[in-house]
Amino acid sequence: MLSHLKYVTQSIWSLLDTAWYFAWGDLKTRYKRSVLGPMWLVLGTAIGVVGLGYVWATLLNMDADEFVPLLTVGLVVWQLVSTCLTESSNVFYKNASVIRNLKVSFWLFPLQLLMKHFLYFLHNLTVVVVVFIIFNVPLSWVQLMAIPGLFIVLINMLWVIVFVGVFATRYRDIEAFLSSVMPLLFFLSPVLYKPSNLGIKSQLAWLNPFTYLITVIRDPLQGNLPPMFVYVVSLVMLFVGWVVTWRLFVRKQNRIVFWM
Amino acid sequence: MAKIVFQNVSLSYSIYDARSTSLRNALVKIGTGGLLEKSGTNSVSVKAIDNVSFEINKGDSVGLIGHNGSGKTTLLRTIAGIYTPISGKIIREGSISSIIELGAGMEGELTGYENIIRIALLMGLSKTLIISKIPEIEEFTELGDFLAMPARTYSAGMTMRLMFAVATCIKPNILIVDEMFATGDAAFQKKAYDRMNNLINDAEIFVFASHSEALIKKFCNRLFYLDHGLVTEKGVFS
Repeated sequence: MLSHLKYVTQSIWSLLDTAWYFAWGDLKTRYKRSVLGPMWLVLGTAIGVVGLGYVWATLLNMDADEFVPLLTVGLVVWQLVSTCLTESSNVFYKNASVIRNLKVSFWLFPLQLLMKHFLYFLHNLTVVVVVFIIFNVPLSWVQLMAIPGLFIVLINMLWVIVFVGVFATRYRDIEAFLSSVMPLLFFLSPVLYKPSNLGIKSQLAWLNPFTYLITVIRDPLQGNLPPMFVYVVSLVMLFVGWVVTWRLFVRKQNRIVFWM
Repeated sequence: MAKIVFQNVSLSYSIYDARSTSLRNALVKIGTGGLLEKSGTNSVSVKAIDNVSFEINKGDSVGLIGHNGSGKTTLLRTIAGIYTPISGKIIREGSISSIIELGAGMEGELTGYENIIRIALLMGLSKTLIISKIPEIEEFTELGDFLAMPARTYSAGMTMRLMFAVATCIKPNILIVDEMFATGDAAFQKKAYDRMNNLINDAEIFVFASHSEALIKKFCNRLFYLDHGLVTEKGVFS
């Protein structure tokens, strides 16, 4: 077990530079020849926050002061988690030309994908900062707990990317499946609301793994320490996910190249 | 010290079509206890390398010939470690560079310089090392100002120059090249020939697949003939 952990962390550590360079390349490529460049990322999120904030605050009959910061953090975390998940189905497929022609580490492209969305997330954080200033969200030490929360989310997403990536390379239906359920998942996950808003049905929200990933970052940012069980469940997800993904990796790492 | 040894290496893989890559089919298969396996899956198993043994030592420069689909590229990929055999043993000693498909790892929107770093990183070189080699690559490729242009503007020959320059800027112990010199012009072929000769003289290994006998005679001192996944050595020629 420990030797496996050491192996994964070492391979990832040695790839950080390369993955980072490629993630930046993705960012540059995506906004090449657009005037605003990566500013579009921030702008897109800001437009989403203003639009959704206005409509949903009215619909849900909530105070903008309370609702907009909730929505902003929820949306930014949701984007990180959901885009990692949808793009994971293509993580190996998209890089087929490299995988078939150069001997590269299995972990490079999953890591690149994660870093790309982490970079997008960092860009989007500017919207969170602006919203927090506008709506006077008080600063407190509890907010620092969002940092370990972010790590829990990122390390969880890495196994998700690898796990879904391997399966979706072999079974091409998964990509279409994911893109058709993501819009639904957006409403089933507490992005626009908090689990407690569901009243007695809030247990339903806690059956959804995304609830934990959102809460573990959002609650601290809003000045509340998440309940202990949120950390326990997120860490159990992380552990079980990695064990399963590791077994998949050992069995299938050499076959992926033949599936493309 | 470069060395490649194949001992009874076999490689086969399944080609899946839409039916067998669909999840529904896999689920049906589980549901019916594998009964449908024969009629339900349309995957075809290809035996690409069939019980192959050979030894390539330092200073060897091997030319692979064979008709289309005889397994040249598959063998190159197996030597490079991209494909893992299902049985047999492969011993590899020394660092490997491979140029198998033109433009692999390049991103059209990024400049030539950025692509040099990308390819080098994919080949496992460090960023500082490749940056120190950029003047040499500039000189070898003769691409001049085009290196600052997006790579999508490059012709096949220009892409070839760039990839070859990066692959050979750090002397690999083993260089693996698939048919592709055809895209380079005469001046480039001359340059590539000189560089290749240097590599070979430095007691390294060169493996080259081509349909051109003239090129193989020029570069290689051993000749492997491939047919339906079988390798036969056609004797050493000078």
